[in-house]
Amino acid sequence: MTDAYSGRCWRFGDDLASDQLIPPQHVFEYDPAVLRRHLLAELRPELSQQAAPGDLVVTGRNFANGSNHSHPFLAMKEMGVGLICASISRGPFRLAVFMGIPLLVAGAEIIAQLGDGDALRVDFATGDIRNESTGRRFTVEPLSPFLLDIIAAGGGLTYARSLLATEGTDHAKR
Amino acid sequence: MPATLAEKILARASGRDRVEPGEVIWVTPDLVTTPEVSFPAYVKRLRDNGIDRFALPERVVVAIDHEVPVHSREGAERNRLTRQLARETGVGHLFDGEGITHPLVIERGLVRPLSFVAAADTHTPSLGGVGALGIPFGIELTMILATGRIWVKVPETVRVEIGGRCPPGVTARDLVLAVMTRIDADLANYRIIELGGDAVAALSIPERMTLCGLCVDMGAKSAVTEVDERCVAFLAERGVADAAPVRSDPGCRYAEVIAFDASTLAPQVSIPPSPTHVRPVTELAHTAIQHAYIGSCASGTLAELSAAADLLEGRRVHADVQMLVIPATRRIYQQAMEQGVLARLSAAGAMVSPPTCGPCFGGLAQLAAGEARISTSTRNDPGRMGSRDATIYLGSALTVAASAVAGRIADPRDFLPAERKDIAP
Repeated sequence: MTDAYSGRCWRFGDDLASDQLIPPQHVFEYDPAVLRRHLLAELRPELSQQAAPGDLVVTGRNFANGSNHSHPFLAMKEMGVGLICASISRGPFRLAVFMGIPLLVAGAEIIAQLGDGDALRVDFATGDIRNESTGRRFTVEPLSPFLLDIIAAGGGLTYARSLLATEGTDHAKR
Repeated sequence: MPATLAEKILARASGRDRVEPGEVIWVTPDLVTTPEVSFPAYVKRLRDNGIDRFALPERVVVAIDHEVPVHSREGAERNRLTRQLARETGVGHLFDGEGITHPLVIERGLVRPLSFVAAADTHTPSLGGVGALGIPFGIELTMILATGRIWVKVPETVRVEIGGRCPPGVTARDLVLAVMTRIDADLANYRIIELGGDAVAALSIPERMTLCGLCVDMGAKSAVTEVDERCVAFLAERGVADAAPVRSDPGCRYAEVIAFDASTLAPQVSIPPSPTHVRPVTELAHTAIQHAYIGSCASGTLAELSAAADLLEGRRVHADVQMLVIPATRRIYQQAMEQGVLARLSAAGAMVSPPTCGPCFGGLAQLAAGEARISTSTRNDPGRMGSRDATIYLGSALTVAASAVAGRIADPRDFLPAERKDIAP
């Protein structure tokens, strides 16, 4: 990934539960190509077909609450989309980073200015959010450089592999 | 700058003098724990990603605790694979049917005050009872196994100051349920709960572990209690040398301070759909139950088994109730056997099983639709113990034992003999 994403805004509401993102009957499915077909399919059947890398899923508060499943993030990674939400609790936040999904948390008043179908440009390293359809621009707290490194590597395990390749396990000593 | 206990632990684990809430830091866990239900899947995931060794295998604890004795073919294969992979990866400890991970690592002296412990399993915050910080990481444990370290956002601490003493019949479980009624998920999220005050100081170390372990169910990242001389002595008996008392510095910053008095509390019960739905036991009297369970990582201590056996003395489990008791570790099982506690429980009509997480997540003694159980375990989500149409209530070992006798949810204070009423187990 680069630090910035440009694409379409896919706008959703508050309290999207993990089980709503991907229905729980797919819990034993781990193929990202299959999972992307189910991501938010009940709310937006066209998402899987039309989402393009660089697009942004934009939601209200409490994204991916409930079951701590990695499936929605596997599907988002397959689509190549980033995330902006009004709030996200610890479990799904960590999962998003581990799976390599770039994300920003923005106030509800900013989310309200990002409409479905708007063209967005989002820099995760600086926290800069531009709505190119309306010309409005917002700044939020950026992702920590640590977490950007993990996401840029493609997630926790690919990050771990590259870390081991360059440093061995010396970093674990203290 | 004064620091909270959790900040001291994270500073130590990151090799720094101090850390600030909100910072993202790298920490190197002192101990990494995983049960058999996760371990083989983690190793496979690592190998699929080209990682075939652990950075610090000597710090890794693998415990076969969820399905003991094994009672499914897939469990048998999982256990076989767990033993094989534990050997191949050279982990420091493989505990095979020795008990439930969290009480077990304390019992075996593997956790010290100020230790940072990363776990696969949710209820590791119980390690806070010895002034350690246990944090659940789930699938991210793979990254910790591979690299020996993990990122943590330094959390703020909420201080809970509990004055007074628990009255008779009121236990650590009732205390933590009282905390749950005062802290909602928004306050708990991404924060550490620090419990202190006279009522906490009066608790035994296993009781403090109950207190800390259940804080995760109100949405906290973890929980911790102060390390006093009583804790130091407890750890010394388990082989932890040179531990010293430690607590938050005076003047440290808390996100919020919540204070209440234990001496006015009554026994409480969690009703579905989650542990935070707390009601006084008196409100639920006459609720019929068909199952009663004492056990889990949040319970199943020797003191609780003894207290339940005392309450059952001269009484019998109700004819319509199946009562199951599971000591949390094999050592507790052994002690309870030697002290005659298991014999007394059995004589009163309870079944006793070997140490396992079993019923807590529906792996053993499942419930049928329409049935109700009162339990000392950790969670009561619909479907957790079998049918989604079964009902799970959570309470103290005393409340469970009293209810088992009555065949309905009962107030344990009505069952305490006059001469024992000054003892709060």
